Amino acid sequence: MPRILLVEDNEMNRDMLSRRLQRKGYTVLIAHDGEQGLAKACSEIPDLILMDISLPFIDGYEVTRRIKANPRTRHIPVIALTAHALLTDRDKALKAGCNDYDTKPVDFARLTEKIENLLVNEETL
Amino acid sequence: MKFQDLSIKRKLILMTMLTSSIALLLSSASFLIYDLISFRNLLTHDLATQAQIIGYNSAAAMAFKDEPAATATLSALTAKGDIVSAALYSPNGQMFAHYFRGAKTLPSAPPICSPEKSYRFEGQYLEVCHEVTLNGDHVGTLFLQSDMRQWSMRARRYATICLVFALVSVFFAFLVSSKLQKVISGPIMHLEDTMKMVSANKNYEVRAVKSYSDEIGSLIDGFNAMLSDIQQRDGALRGANDELQTRTLELEEEVSQRKQAQEELLKAKHVAEEASRAKSIFLANMSHELRTPLNAIIGYSEMLEEEARDSEDADHIRDLQKIQFAGKHLLSLINDVLDLSKIEAGKMPLHLETFDVRLMVAEIITTLQPAIEKNKNTLRVRMADEVSTMRADVTKVRQILFNLLSNACKFTDHGTIGLDVDRKLENDQDWIRFQVSDTGIGIAAKQRENLFKEFAQADTSIARKYGGTGLGLAISYKFVQLMKGRIEVESELGRGATFTAELPAHVRTEAADPVRPDGAIDSPAPASSPAKTNQDTILVIDDDAAVRDLMSRFLSKLDFNVVAARSGEEGLRLAAQLHPAIITLDVVMPGRDGWWVLNQLKADPALSEIPIIMVTIVDNEAMGINLGASNYLIKPVQRELLADLVEKYRVMRSSGPKTMRIPVSISTNRKGQEQTEDQNPRRR
Repeated sequence: MPRILLVEDNEMNRDMLSRRLQRKGYTVLIAHDGEQGLAKACSEIPDLILMDISLPFIDGYEVTRRIKANPRTRHIPVIALTAHALLTDRDKALKAGCNDYDTKPVDFARLTEKIENLLVNEETL
Repeated sequence: MKFQDLSIKRKLILMTMLTSSIALLLSSASFLIYDLISFRNLLTHDLATQAQIIGYNSAAAMAFKDEPAATATLSALTAKGDIVSAALYSPNGQMFAHYFRGAKTLPSAPPICSPEKSYRFEGQYLEVCHEVTLNGDHVGTLFLQSDMRQWSMRARRYATICLVFALVSVFFAFLVSSKLQKVISGPIMHLEDTMKMVSANKNYEVRAVKSYSDEIGSLIDGFNAMLSDIQQRDGALRGANDELQTRTLELEEEVSQRKQAQEELLKAKHVAEEASRAKSIFLANMSHELRTPLNAIIGYSEMLEEEARDSEDADHIRDLQKIQFAGKHLLSLINDVLDLSKIEAGKMPLHLETFDVRLMVAEIITTLQPAIEKNKNTLRVRMADEVSTMRADVTKVRQILFNLLSNACKFTDHGTIGLDVDRKLENDQDWIRFQVSDTGIGIAAKQRENLFKEFAQADTSIARKYGGTGLGLAISYKFVQLMKGRIEVESELGRGATFTAELPAHVRTEAADPVRPDGAIDSPAPASSPAKTNQDTILVIDDDAAVRDLMSRFLSKLDFNVVAARSGEEGLRLAAQLHPAIITLDVVMPGRDGWWVLNQLKADPALSEIPIIMVTIVDNEAMGINLGASNYLIKPVQRELLADLVEKYRVMRSSGPKTMRIPVSISTNRKGQEQTEDQNPRRR
């Protein structure tokens, strides 16, 4: 089963999203902040990362940049999640190296579609 | 000092005195001369008489040679002061007796007496000679000599008197002329004084006083008239000056007031901008803060719904769906508010792309299908054939249409919703028109005014009945404005409504699109910009790199995909390969020239339809048109002209009919006409 790392500081969102992903059959790994997310990305090498952008201390952009800078984790697709719906946020996320982008509140169906797309791409490569 | 330079007063005195002196001198001189002459005649006659008396008395003494008696007779002459000497000569010429006063000597021989003239003037003396006779016998000669003392004394006295009189009369003449000259010089000097006063004090109120009605009088009159004229003008000038000064002061005051007002306005503007920015930041933050809990609400309710489905708990499913619906509604509200705040903050960028209008409309209809069916409405869509693609921000166009259509669905029950899409040319611009009509409740005239304003739903009761934020139309309106289009509504209460949104078929951003790197121009790479279809491709054939560069830059700004060829052969090859929308062609090129290329292009059935614009320094329009060129422009080319042409061809090509020649109002722009100078650097 694909393993997804969810980096999210808000407890409710974390709980809700992880439970829904698990119901879909994904194995969900949890990180509460950027530092933990970075550590788990390196140690666990998940198949995909869902990255909240507004994280305390190190924000999602920075965490993504570091993941993409590390040769071990570079290949892992990252989907940025942000509560800001500004287009500049999208550009910033893509610039930081995110593979895709979605806004919160998540449209779960749309999100799973994006996840599946990225996972399939990874397999074919 | 010359006489001419003397003052008038002196001149007058001098002239008067000179005139009177000359008259006096002449008259006294003539009188003097006359008097002296007659006095001398008198003296001569007197002396002759004396000589006769003495001759008579001494005749006996002479006859008798009585010398003492003769001498005694002569001595009697002592009484006569002016006779200086006398002598008696005997007939043989010897001096017989004599008398003299002082050291006067006498001639030894008697002077010859002429019977006609018995006297003569010898120097300053008068001499008289007289024959002494006794009883008719000549007995001797008498000689008398007078020194004319009386005469000279008289002459001296007369001269003195004349002189004294002359002096006295000159003095009187001076007095009189001094008095009289004032009649003439007085008014003149008064005039002069007045003039000096006027010029020194600039006092134009002074007037010269007129004394007499002579020439000077009229001079003074003239002078006074001139003065009052000047005074009047001076007054007017002063008035104008005063007014000017007042106006200047007023103006300065106004300027300073305006400056102040401007500063205040600027301050107010800064404050407003600051407030607006703060508002936007607040809204962005708020939407973020709202979204996070909303995320949980929607997410959990969706999750629970899925679980309820699994356990087939129908009651809960419906309730959970209500929570979801409410949550999504709240979310759309937040999104709308955020959109508006972004538009107001000027942070809503346009992402222009060329897209198929038909496809977009189809997508919207699919999405809207549930909404259409909800109120048992039917949708009628009509698309004009010439509507193919447009260049705009597709997301925003979609949102505009979505808003209009979903409004129509919302406010119509068991009715018909119409969507008409047309393309039209207006004011040289290509427009796409979307018309959404419904047969719903309609909008009252009063409410139409506020229709496109934020939070202005037609009626508060409508919000309760139909829901919605009232932001949809406001956002649509702003989006249309952003894309330089327009939106209108026609409606009547109870008779449905028709919304018309018109957007330019080629929306332009304020700033021109960035110029593509120069390298892309000289090395033609048709695949380099796949977003642009061949419909937007222009082939520029010119051997001059500078012209190619300028044309590419300029045409790129008009959203054309520009491909450049350096020679005729290359141009022909690229034309066959790319099928560009338009070709611009130079005539003078090394190798194959423009005429040859034109011939080849027109001979090829696949390429002959492409409009060709000749851009050259060769002035031979007839040749170009005969060979099949659509237009003929002479370098340096006016940019507007070229832009107009290519735009028109683009429109024609996209709208179907292939009319290949557009009349240019100035088809042959002569050399040396107005030009944009960087159009042709070679000519500089």
